[in-house]
Amino acid sequence: MASGGVFSYAGINARVRGMVSALLGSQEWSELIKASDFNSLIGLLRRTRYGPYLLRVEDKDLTPRRAVYQIKSHMTDVFLILLRTAPKVTHPLLTLLYRNYEVENLKAVLRGIVSRSPWERVRDVLFPLNSLSNLPAQAMVETGNVEEAVELLRGSPYYTTLSHALTRFTSEQSLFPLEVALDLSYWREVWASINQLPKLDREHALTIVGSLLDMNNLMWAIRYRVYYNLSEEELINYTLPFGYQLQDADVRAIAAGADIPQVALHVYPRLVELDEYLRVPREGLPLLEIQLQRAVAEQCRKAFIGYPFHIGVPLAFLTLKRMEIQDLTVLIEVKSSHTPIDDYRRFLLLGYAAK
Amino acid sequence: MFFPEAMTRVRLIIPARDLLAVTKELARQGIMHPIDGSQLVPAKVQATGNSWAENAAAYASLERRIQGIMQTVGLEEKPVSTDGESGLVPFDEVRPSVEQMEREVSQSTEQRERVQKRLEQMHAVFEQVEPLAGIDISMTALRNPRYTYSILGIIPTANIDRLRTSLERIPFVLQNLRQEEDRTVVLLTGLKRNADILERAARSAYLNPLNLPETFAGTPGEYIASLQREMEEARKEIAQIERDLSRLRDERGEQLQKLLWRVRSSRILAEAIARFGRLRYTYVIEGWVPSAKLDDFSRRMKRVAHQIVIDTFSFKRGTEKQNVPVALKNPWFIRPFQQLVTNYSQPNYDEIDPTFILAITFPLIFGAMFGDVGQGILLAALGSLLASGRIKALRGLATLGGVIVACGLAATLFGFFYGSIFGFEDILPALLLQPMHNVFQIMALGVGFGFVSISIGYLVAILNHWTSRNWGRLLFDAHGVAGLVLYWSLVALAVEVIAGIHPVPLILLAFSALIGAIGVMFSEALEHLVSGHRPVVEGGIGIYVVGSFFELFENLISLLSNSISHIRVAAFAVAHVGLSAVFFILANLVSSSHGAGYWLVLVIGNLFIVGFEGVIVSIQTMRLEYYEFFSKFFTGGGMKYEPLTLQPTAED
Repeated sequence: MASGGVFSYAGINARVRGMVSALLGSQEWSELIKASDFNSLIGLLRRTRYGPYLLRVEDKDLTPRRAVYQIKSHMTDVFLILLRTAPKVTHPLLTLLYRNYEVENLKAVLRGIVSRSPWERVRDVLFPLNSLSNLPAQAMVETGNVEEAVELLRGSPYYTTLSHALTRFTSEQSLFPLEVALDLSYWREVWASINQLPKLDREHALTIVGSLLDMNNLMWAIRYRVYYNLSEEELINYTLPFGYQLQDADVRAIAAGADIPQVALHVYPRLVELDEYLRVPREGLPLLEIQLQRAVAEQCRKAFIGYPFHIGVPLAFLTLKRMEIQDLTVLIEVKSSHTPIDDYRRFLLLGYAAK
Repeated sequence: MFFPEAMTRVRLIIPARDLLAVTKELARQGIMHPIDGSQLVPAKVQATGNSWAENAAAYASLERRIQGIMQTVGLEEKPVSTDGESGLVPFDEVRPSVEQMEREVSQSTEQRERVQKRLEQMHAVFEQVEPLAGIDISMTALRNPRYTYSILGIIPTANIDRLRTSLERIPFVLQNLRQEEDRTVVLLTGLKRNADILERAARSAYLNPLNLPETFAGTPGEYIASLQREMEEARKEIAQIERDLSRLRDERGEQLQKLLWRVRSSRILAEAIARFGRLRYTYVIEGWVPSAKLDDFSRRMKRVAHQIVIDTFSFKRGTEKQNVPVALKNPWFIRPFQQLVTNYSQPNYDEIDPTFILAITFPLIFGAMFGDVGQGILLAALGSLLASGRIKALRGLATLGGVIVACGLAATLFGFFYGSIFGFEDILPALLLQPMHNVFQIMALGVGFGFVSISIGYLVAILNHWTSRNWGRLLFDAHGVAGLVLYWSLVALAVEVIAGIHPVPLILLAFSALIGAIGVMFSEALEHLVSGHRPVVEGGIGIYVVGSFFELFENLISLLSNSISHIRVAAFAVAHVGLSAVFFILANLVSSSHGAGYWLVLVIGNLFIVGFEGVIVSIQTMRLEYYEFFSKFFTGGGMKYEPLTLQPTAED
């Protein structure tokens, strides 16, 4: 029985089901895709769950970037609702998943420092985090120096990882080692947190979060080999030895030079176009990532079928919600730049099939 | 006092020639919360650049340089007498003085930096070598081996297994020399011909090699000892330089303080002007002014600039869509509690400022849990001392002092009610009851207090919905009329069933509870219905009903837990007496004849109770206020009122 089972999950399950019903349906996707421009897209979005967030900003101030920011704020509220209603035992994992946005913000801040961008520009690309995060983003950017910025993180979960990786940043003057160290450390924490869950919760968390981890690990392995031409030992050290379906042996096989499609097909049997994607990595790898994310979305939809009183249901919802927001971000960018949507439809995760 | 101070939106249109005079007057008055109007600047004017922003940056840079000098000589910032010098200080006047003082301190600081750098280098080496302190290997032997290649370094412990995996195809030895938290000192050794593989693997596993200096000979222990001696000498040299700098501080302190104040006020004025709306020949300043000060504000502004145009935009509370800054206005005697409120969140402009309620309920709850005349007086005295700011180290807690005084006085009052003084229960007569002997009565009192507190919470929430004209939430919210009807009906039902008296027929109470429950359960749809929001039900009806049912269930559980939570008031009142009793037992064990030992233990015990239990009771009181009370009605998230001023506020 998952952490108190029916009793613990009754409330959150009802809440999540309610929120799932508010996810954008195919009819809504279809209308959004057909929107003639940014303004009509916003008009349509105001009729959805994102409406109240968009209404908080006056029309004249609602630039595409601001609209994305407002829409992302919804994700923060979703996390807060789930944290309020989820059983205590699942809080570390949920908080960690929320921290994923903080990790992404941290990377954006570091990139901002290296590219000498002013705070106003960096702020625009950050995910709107609330009191759950105390990343001193502005102060970090204002130091203008990666070493000093890392010092400001003292006491945070990132300090030890980054301060150790700084040695490499200093010698290589590249953010690559810092970003990899952050990712590895973050996913190790997630994995440890999954393993702390009661049995049923653990199994369901593995199917959702484990699938995300598989996706990341596979993409890292492929990128490091195909794109960065890293050596076997580097590739192994920059990937993780655990996952849901993607095993350490698979990653090591890729590192050792095995045929990538053969290894990947073993985990993703439906991924028949892999050869195609690898032919021109620069264009193919983003599309491959989209395919893998769609496979995760499939996995998430399955979580709503069967015995419902476990962490899988909220996790699946969170993942779908994140993908929905990612799609809306693409749509907003496309509509505001007056680009034909057909050029970008293949980059949509949930809305791609809408007619 | 009941609501944040009423605000009026003000727009000032001034000719460019009056700009400085008006800005100075605004900063002098310190009552206008400015709004960024830089977006008003037309493209043509924008193309000419914003020299005020550049001036502000130049002043900020000067300010940092002065602060740098002050920091170097160890001078703390202090408020200085302004003597009416609040204008923009000319750069030509201030720059030479700053440069002169920079030169004066630079000689000492450069020398200090050189020694400091040397010390840091030694320290860096020390930190690298220090983990090896316990290793009894001669490092000389590890240098330049013929056939092997070694890397001595520190690696995140989590990466060790992965490093091993990555090197599986070549022969290697990985020794863990010392582990500290999540870092491990390791020695990685392999064949020289595999050196590049070993290096790649080590680097990608974040194994940071220890860069041991060439002078490193012998065992790590021997090297560390010699390093420590050199570091001590460098520290002595730095101390001498510090003494020279402190002499400079005494000589130049006053001049630096004045210079800093003038540059800072110039920077604040320039920054403010940079954010004003700018047309070709006029400036537009927008902001919020407390309505009560509007007339005086307008009069003073007109006195400074005769051609000023002042537009004001008044509105009723709850009708303004914009974010209105919130200024809390409370009498001095309840102001200490304001900080407890803002700690939770800044109240919203449209909602009640709960400070006055907190100023009553907080000391009452505290007093009820900590009722003792002697300890209460002690606490009040301690609070007065803090509030007076006489203890320099505790000046930051001066505001808290007022809260402690109120809590101490309430504890004294309840001490008379309970007949307790310094833990003695038999000196004073109990005016109300003795917690230890009337456990059930005091529990009932706790629950009763909870009922009153929760009801006030509901009523304030209803008033807030009224103010913000949110009729749907007023009627049907879980913390609106429906929620209150449900709560009162359930409490009345419980009281009648337990007491066995039925002044109101049970069926009537059950019916009103049902009405309240239906209202709460379908609150979202009913609110949509009232506010005209369509669709009334979002998503499927079935899902909505199931979700609503669980929300009602959650609400009932939370009502129950909120009510029961107040029993802690009684529990702590009893525990307080119990803790005192423990010290009496200890005192008797030390000296059964009530000698000096007996009284010493009692004094220590009372001090312990005031300190330790006082903190625990405060936390419990805060918990009751924040979670059981505020959560009923307090939305928060308001924007703090931050007027343009040259004087730092007390809070800053």
